[in-house]
Amino acid sequence: MLSVISYPVFALSVLVSLVLSISLFPVDWFEFRPEWLGLMVFYWTFRAPAQFGIVLAWCAGLLLDVLESTPLGVNAMAMALVAFLVLTVHQRLRMFPIPQQCLMVFLLLGINQMLVHFIKQVLGADSTGFSYLWPALTSALVWPPLCILLDNLNRKLG
Amino acid sequence: MFLVILLSVGLIVADTRLDRVEPVRSALGTVLAPVYWLGNAPRDFSEWVSGLFTTRDDLVEENEALQARLLILERRALKYAALAAENNELRRLMNSSEVLDDRVIVAEIVSVSPDPYSHEVVINKGSRDGVRVGQAILDAGGLMGQVVQSSSFTSRVMLVSDSSHAVPVEVVRNGLRSILLGIGDSDILELVYVPDTVDIREGDLLVSSGLGGRFPRGYPVAEVSAIHKDPGDPFVQIQATPKARLNQSRLVLVVFSPQDDAGDELPAESGIAVGSDAVIGEEY
Repeated sequence: MLSVISYPVFALSVLVSLVLSISLFPVDWFEFRPEWLGLMVFYWTFRAPAQFGIVLAWCAGLLLDVLESTPLGVNAMAMALVAFLVLTVHQRLRMFPIPQQCLMVFLLLGINQMLVHFIKQVLGADSTGFSYLWPALTSALVWPPLCILLDNLNRKLG
Repeated sequence: MFLVILLSVGLIVADTRLDRVEPVRSALGTVLAPVYWLGNAPRDFSEWVSGLFTTRDDLVEENEALQARLLILERRALKYAALAAENNELRRLMNSSEVLDDRVIVAEIVSVSPDPYSHEVVINKGSRDGVRVGQAILDAGGLMGQVVQSSSFTSRVMLVSDSSHAVPVEVVRNGLRSILLGIGDSDILELVYVPDTVDIREGDLLVSSGLGGRFPRGYPVAEVSAIHKDPGDPFVQIQATPKARLNQSRLVLVVFSPQDDAGDELPAESGIAVGSDAVIGEEY
């Protein structure tokens, strides 16, 4: 838990993650795009569980729904689930070394992706095998630099 | 958490089964317009920079090439105008009420769907420019897709290659009607329910048939690329390649068919500019 958090950094990071989640990415690597917004939800509920919780995560997920034009509520529910799970484990999470944190990121965002794809398939999308877990893996890989960057920003500006 | 899940499930059901939340989605989409704009900003910027460093010679050369091309197209348009007049005359003789004069506006693709399993793009014209759900989108090669959702400044377009998309088409050569399905691959479409006795060959051009009332008639959609006959199946398996360059085009045309215009407060004349700068209204 950080002693201070910076609200401008919070707003900016969510905005940037929304932009990154739709902005141009090499077409062939589309399915490897990290789940940026999921990472932000993870980071902020992990670092500031008192300020950032399920409801804000839900709202952010709703925005992602609009951007991805999935049925409203799918990503919202999945993001709220990530926030909920982070809230339940954040005290243990702080004790974990970085590789273990990455594993948790992979696990929780994997659950997030799984839920999103489960609902989509219930609503009639094509089955895509397990390839939907790629974003969770790439997210886990970008977690350490992202975490350090946001921590530094928070310390400087908070 | 329980409350949030309940709320989400309620929203999902309301969205998919009852279509009640379209205004909410549209409003949120309008709020998110800056995000789309920012997402597109790097490319705009790089284009601007490369525009700064173009030499005069290059520009002159390009200008000449464009003028030559314009000349060729104008000659073709002249011939086409005569043909269109003749066609209209013949149609009038046949007492047909159908007149071919679709109006189009030019739009730019500002974002591609972040979901790798759905083929959708976002264009920079929205309901403010008169774009409605269901309108057809073309590029220079042929039919690209249809508008599935429009907010004030942007609209979302489902491409013909999306796995939940279908277009009623006909073969130009003999008028055979069928349905062209997207299968989630931007280079392959599938022609379904074609009995194995009919006359269809590789290289046949498929144009939209206008049946179903969604797409205007007569725009090229795809070309038959492979036919596979299995004696055990009642239907032939036919694959077609889309004529539109689905994942390369940047500028697209939004088609306003005359029926759309009739319901619009916009005048159905040619040459009007809806909205502003990059919009070109023109008559086919």
